[in-house]
Amino acid sequence: MNKEYINIALADDDEDDILFFTEAFEELRIKNKVSTFKDGIELMIYLEKLEGELPDLLFLDLNMPKKSGMECLEEIKANRKFKDLIIAIYSTSSSEEDVENTFVLGANIYIKKPNNFEKLKKVLSEVVTTNWQYHTNSLNKENFLLRL
Amino acid sequence: MSLTPSKLLKIIFGIGLFVILCIGGFTYRHLNSLSKTNEVIKETYTLRSELDNIISNLKDAEVGHRGFLLTHDSLFLKPYQESKQKIENNLARLDTLILANQSQQLNLDQLEIDISKRFVIFNKSLDIADDKIILSEDILLLLHEGKIKMDRIREDIAKMLDYENKLLLESQEKNEQAIGVTPLFLYGILILTLILLLMAYAKINDDLKILKDNNEDLQVFKKLTEQAEIINNSATWIWDIVNNKFEFSDNLYRLVGEEPQSFEPTLENFFSYVHEDDREGFGQQVNLMIKKEDLPFATYRAVHKDGTVRSLRAYGKLMDTTIGEKFLLGVTTDISDDVKNFETIEERNLELVRNNKELSDFNYVASHDLQEPLRKIQTFISRLETKESENLTEKGKFYIEKIKSSSARMRMLIEDLLQYSRTSNSDSEFKKTNMNMLLEDAKQELSDSIEEKNAEIISDSLPTMEVVSFQIQQLFINLISNSLKYSRSGIAPKIEITHQEVLSKNVKVLEKSLFKYHHKFTFSDNGIGFEQAYGETIFELFNRLHGKTEYSGTGIGLAICKKIVENHHGVILAEGKPNLGASFIIFFPFLK
Repeated sequence: MNKEYINIALADDDEDDILFFTEAFEELRIKNKVSTFKDGIELMIYLEKLEGELPDLLFLDLNMPKKSGMECLEEIKANRKFKDLIIAIYSTSSSEEDVENTFVLGANIYIKKPNNFEKLKKVLSEVVTTNWQYHTNSLNKENFLLRL
Repeated sequence: MSLTPSKLLKIIFGIGLFVILCIGGFTYRHLNSLSKTNEVIKETYTLRSELDNIISNLKDAEVGHRGFLLTHDSLFLKPYQESKQKIENNLARLDTLILANQSQQLNLDQLEIDISKRFVIFNKSLDIADDKIILSEDILLLLHEGKIKMDRIREDIAKMLDYENKLLLESQEKNEQAIGVTPLFLYGILILTLILLLMAYAKINDDLKILKDNNEDLQVFKKLTEQAEIINNSATWIWDIVNNKFEFSDNLYRLVGEEPQSFEPTLENFFSYVHEDDREGFGQQVNLMIKKEDLPFATYRAVHKDGTVRSLRAYGKLMDTTIGEKFLLGVTTDISDDVKNFETIEERNLELVRNNKELSDFNYVASHDLQEPLRKIQTFISRLETKESENLTEKGKFYIEKIKSSSARMRMLIEDLLQYSRTSNSDSEFKKTNMNMLLEDAKQELSDSIEEKNAEIISDSLPTMEVVSFQIQQLFINLISNSLKYSRSGIAPKIEITHQEVLSKNVKVLEKSLFKYHHKFTFSDNGIGFEQAYGETIFELFNRLHGKTEYSGTGIGLAICKKIVENHHGVILAEGKPNLGASFIIFFPFLK
């Protein structure tokens, strides 16, 4: 990525999680810009109105009020405009059903929120530094759920 | 083609009838010919007597003629005149007698000519005698000639008689010939007929006996059916479709709460017992029955006079007889008890499904939603540890450590509970899977602790089975981690996994199994073991044999194992010896 900073979007209704997320990025040595959205509707309005470049990465919580992550994922994937958007599912649970459904809908990776800040940093840096071009081509059910 | 008994009987009777007719015909023919012969004989005798009469009359004429010639007394002429008349009568009768016989006719013609010639000579001699009293030369000559004529007549008659005799003899001979064989023939045929009739009689007798036996069997069968109907709460009926007539068995009356045969078996009468709400549907079924001549199961309610409502089910099947009649044979059963039981079971099932759903929803939501705050607690602790640890006193750091271990334990419990509730998912897919691969995956998952504990795992070659793979993998993980967890300190854990196929009847816990064979897997370790008394409670949820501080179990792992094994219709047993080791034995049924 030949840019000064990496553009990241996060949709999550949990303030604490947003806090961990932004703090983790602050501590990472990668230059980044994080935009956060409190629910699916807010996110979709932002994306629809967006004129310039798409975020490099979208972290999507599944369990959100008003519009769930699953619905956002469906809408994004149905819109040609967002076809290059890399979507990371960022959820508390990793139930088989959710993993399966988001995989089928076309998300790029599934992250279960870690219960340790250091681990969170590790996970996020891993995701940000992934070569998505390469990863997407070799994406399968086995490596869809991120394991560290 | 085989002959049925009745056909055979018909044939025998046919032959008998034919033979009797033959006998009648023969007898008639023979009697006829006998009476004909009789006639011929009678005719012959009449003919002979007529011929004799002619001779005698001619002699009378001669005597009278001679008397006149001697006496010239006309008194002698009277018998002469009379006999002439008589002879003419005789000839006329003869003529009618032999009307049909041509050769006799010719003979008769000759006779007539000869007779008339004789009379010519008579008359000539009489004419001459009238003139002269004494016998002249002429008369003598005439007398002589008359004698010759007389001889000729005798010859003629003899000829006719001969002929007639010959005819009689021929006829007699023919008759004797014909009649001679008749009695024997008739007798033979009669005997044959008698034999046939006797055979037929024996056959009929046999058939009658069989019929009687069959009838008795039928009676027994009828009684049995009646009993069966009463015990089974069922009834039978026959519908003669062509004549639209019904026959109801006794129990059909009982099924609608009436005394046997207490009303006329008609559709209308029966209809009055059908529940009002079911009449339309039942009527449609009946119409369909008439159209298709076959009745699928028709279910309806019958209302007794005392108000009792019973559920009945009817079934009918068409029977075509060979003589063009059509019967719908039906069975009606009282299914009230079944309906009631079914409703109860259905209700219970629904309740169970509801309860199960509630339970698993509760379990899932609880575990799931509990994770979020816990995760935050843990994350905040990790923040405190890294960012604020220099501001904390030793005591503070100790407390943080305590919070950390407690929350870690809570996480473990929640994760295990979640695992447990997921295991009950019954809609998991069974697939043919190589168990060796599942074991490898399980070992891979546990590679860190295996390495850490320096554990050795030896296993037999395992079979391929139809399983829910993620569950079996979980089972292997739980069993191996269990062995790793409860290892004796200072002794490297050694886990042996063996497999063999066993006959179900040879294993006590499998004696009641419907499957003939089971796979037997044994996981044995050299760990701390346990008292055999806990062999069963070890699998109960939240059951722990050791203090939390000694061993970090949640008491869910083995409960999950048991659940997985039961999902696969298997059995899991635990055998332990304190300080020697534990064995977990699993049986999975399979078909060979």
